[in-house]
Amino acid sequence: MTFRSRLFWVFTIALLLSVGVIAAGVTVVARRAFDELNRQHSEALVAQFEGEFQRRGQDVVHRVQGIADAEGTVRMAIDLSRPKADVSVYVNDARGVSQSHQLDFLDFVSTDGAIITSNEWPARFGYKMDWLTQPQDWVSVGSFLMKVDTQDGPALGLMAVSTVRVGDRDLFILGGERLGKEFLHSLVLPAGMRALLYMDLDPNFQPTNLVDASGSVADGDRLASFIEQERQQPQERTFRIAWTPDPASAEAFHALPLLGRQKELLGVLFVGSSQQEMVKLEQRIRDLALAVVAMGLCFGLLLSWWGAARVTRPVRELAEGAREVSEGNWGARVQVHGRQEIGQLATAFNRMTTQLTEQREQLVQAERVAAWRELARRLAHELKNPLFPLQTTVENLQRAKGQSPGQFEEVFKESTGILLSEIEHLKNIVGRFSDFAKMPQPELGPVNVNEVVRGVVKLFEAQFSAVGRPPISTELHLAENLPEIQADAALLHRAIENLVLNAMDAMPAGGVLMLRTTEQDGSVDLEVSDTGGGLTPEECDRLFTPYYTTKQHGTGLGLAIVQSVVSDHGGRISVESETGVGTSFHLRLPVKPHLRTASSHPQEPAAPVAAGQPEPKPTEPPAGEEA
Amino acid sequence: MKLRWSLFLAAISIAVLLAGGARASRRPRYGGALRVEIGAVVRSLDPAGTSPDTEEAEARSEIGALLYDQRNSDGTFAGVAGSGAFHIAAWESGKHLTLAVNENYHAGRAFLDSIEIEMGRSAKDRLLDLEVGKTDFAEIPPEEARRTSERGVRVSTSKTQELVALVFVPGRPAAENPRVREALGRSIDRTAIVNFILQKEGEPAGGLLPQWSNGTAFLFSTSADAGGAKDLWSQIGASPRIVLGYDSGDSLGQAIAERIAVNARDAGIALSVEPIATPAPSRPSYDARLVRMPMTSSHPREALASFQAALVPLSGLDAVPLSAAASSEQIYERERSIVSGYRVVPLVWLPRVYGLGARVRDWKVPAAGEGWPFADVWLEQESQ
Repeated sequence: MTFRSRLFWVFTIALLLSVGVIAAGVTVVARRAFDELNRQHSEALVAQFEGEFQRRGQDVVHRVQGIADAEGTVRMAIDLSRPKADVSVYVNDARGVSQSHQLDFLDFVSTDGAIITSNEWPARFGYKMDWLTQPQDWVSVGSFLMKVDTQDGPALGLMAVSTVRVGDRDLFILGGERLGKEFLHSLVLPAGMRALLYMDLDPNFQPTNLVDASGSVADGDRLASFIEQERQQPQERTFRIAWTPDPASAEAFHALPLLGRQKELLGVLFVGSSQQEMVKLEQRIRDLALAVVAMGLCFGLLLSWWGAARVTRPVRELAEGAREVSEGNWGARVQVHGRQEIGQLATAFNRMTTQLTEQREQLVQAERVAAWRELARRLAHELKNPLFPLQTTVENLQRAKGQSPGQFEEVFKESTGILLSEIEHLKNIVGRFSDFAKMPQPELGPVNVNEVVRGVVKLFEAQFSAVGRPPISTELHLAENLPEIQADAALLHRAIENLVLNAMDAMPAGGVLMLRTTEQDGSVDLEVSDTGGGLTPEECDRLFTPYYTTKQHGTGLGLAIVQSVVSDHGGRISVESETGVGTSFHLRLPVKPHLRTASSHPQEPAAPVAAGQPEPKPTEPPAGEEA
Repeated sequence: MKLRWSLFLAAISIAVLLAGGARASRRPRYGGALRVEIGAVVRSLDPAGTSPDTEEAEARSEIGALLYDQRNSDGTFAGVAGSGAFHIAAWESGKHLTLAVNENYHAGRAFLDSIEIEMGRSAKDRLLDLEVGKTDFAEIPPEEARRTSERGVRVSTSKTQELVALVFVPGRPAAENPRVREALGRSIDRTAIVNFILQKEGEPAGGLLPQWSNGTAFLFSTSADAGGAKDLWSQIGASPRIVLGYDSGDSLGQAIAERIAVNARDAGIALSVEPIATPAPSRPSYDARLVRMPMTSSHPREALASFQAALVPLSGLDAVPLSAAASSEQIYERERSIVSGYRVVPLVWLPRVYGLGARVRDWKVPAAGEGWPFADVWLEQESQ
């Protein structure tokens, strides 16, 4: 993971955490505020319900008392107080009276508890309401909730009782209002709130007994469990219901049990507060948080990009500089940014490359001087050998001048022959040096390495088995289907020829010359091995240095030429040698070479040393092997 | 002695004179139009016409008795319309009918010149019109007789001649269980229905015929047995819910049905009531229904035969013919066999109650099966 990515993720995580914490905190605070608001609304609505309940109760009490005080009722009471009174004449009276007093429920009950007339259930005359005959101060009781039996089924009523006493006989007037959706309709509800009334009229939960101001309630059975809890233990409760999987459908409820005269549960008032606004607010907070996070991510991306660029640019420049140095550009420089650690590091890097460059120039200069010295030594050595016979021959001629013409002629003839021979020798020396200096640029074309190898071997077949020389046997291990490479066939032939000559020189007592070709990783490998005496590691290290030779009459240019040819073809050459076993040269030539520029050509003695340094291998010095 | 005889003769003379004066003041008077209001809406005066509306059929029968002179054995009218004491003077179907006196009626001209019949008047309107003298004659519901009389309206009540009964519908699951039928039949408090709903205008009915008809009504029990009904009901495995129907326009039927529901509830029987639309549906949704059956004859055999004829299609009873010479015992046995299975549960007998205007004279309550005797009614001239 890059420094920039790491910085981005650190920034992102920090932003997410901070935004998440803030959003959660705001949500919690908002939820608490909503809950508190809902609680206040619920309490206000419950208080409103209780107030309305009390007001209507008082109204019912007044109306029932009004019926009791009416002249017709008093006359009825007087009539019924007589012995053998006929109650049947009053059987239909309740309906008219209840209509005139706007009561839903009205029963006239005789002193023995028998219903004389009933509005809500006219056919129920004669049946007993014994509880009314129990001694009770109905004035102090006031209004109360009651389950009222009607011909359409039980109903919930807000009732009051009044009595008319004539003699020792009472006439009870039981009247009241139906408690249902009309009652709920009279409540003023804040937005988002509603009131539900469950009338506990049946042994089991009945969804039809649950109403709101508009009528029946959909999915009312979701409240069944809470109603059952109220049945078990009537008390105020709060709970929350999610009507659908959508959180916005959630509703918080405040349950208020409605008790009858005997403290029995007759109904439950549910004050519901919609959580829609709360959920919307939470959604808005969440959306805002997401927007902040998204913006933060963008900002973080830019910031991390900029920050990382600012922080890592000097480091990247240093890395780039190090890479250039590793590729040989020792003069690479980096820009120094500031005086902090990175700046100090850049300054040190620049100082290091400067010193490296200087040291390399000094080294090159030293090597160049050494090469010239070696060249001079070789030239002196090469030239001194023919010069001495030349000098001796000329001195012989000068001495022979005084001899007889016949002797002089014989000496002259012999001396001129020597002179010509040595001069030819000098010309050869000069020619070899000249050839090395004039190494041409390769002209590439398709070359079959196996054919080149066979051609070289064929060229030297006669010398391998020459008379007076220990025989050298050859082993060719040439790979079939070897691909053709792009190479200069003449140069390649010359390089292999040099290697074969070297091998022959390394085996003065005869031996085995093995040539092997293989294909490997888009290159063709050529191995030339001999069974000579081998080379020392020091000799291996200097083997490809021009003008370095271990042979008595070598120029030290053979392997330098080989190395130059291989390098010009984009290949590599290495040597393995073991004392007493032999030496192997390994050439790797790419099928499609990337040629070097002319600058890499060893025009100067020191140049090939830097450009074509072979892989150093520990070897024993060969006996008489020439480079 | 002489003085005593003289005083005696004088008293006789005064009495004769007073009696003669009284006779003179009650002498029938010819003329006048009798104003009649009925609740039924009569759309056809065809004597052979039929109607699903019992009230319309009865009204047509009453009017037919005024228009036709002859009657067939099955109760339908024969001859020409107008051959009776009156003929049609004006006819507006369903609303108004004017009958004019038949001057040449073979039994003598009626006292009235005409009869104005207003149709479709509700019971409440009829009672109100009677009170204010806007009408001379109106039939009023029995349950309103007492209240009407207390308001100063002349009320004339017949013998009980209409049976209200509960009839189980054959084929319904609840109706096919004899225990269900008996439990419901025994739970009904007929006395309370008579005393409270009918305001004591009627009699509890245990049999089909009233006591005055065959003299055997007292042999049928009319008392309620809520305990027995409860026991019977508890013996029924899966307690069915009984639906009791009543004619949608019959307020008395509704009151009786609701009272039966109260009695049934007291016995633990699940029963609900529902009105039956007119005409009744071919596939009823109720298990039992209330029916009102007027007696078509004072004769017990004919009355029972007509009841049986009406009940057979309703209850699925076997149509067993009753011989013309059936004795009272045979009539009783037949009556007993009809009610013993509780497919038919007689509830109450109702009288026919008529409200009369102050100027109506010589009104005689018609017997069962007889029409309005308007031919003998005359109107007293109102004082100026």
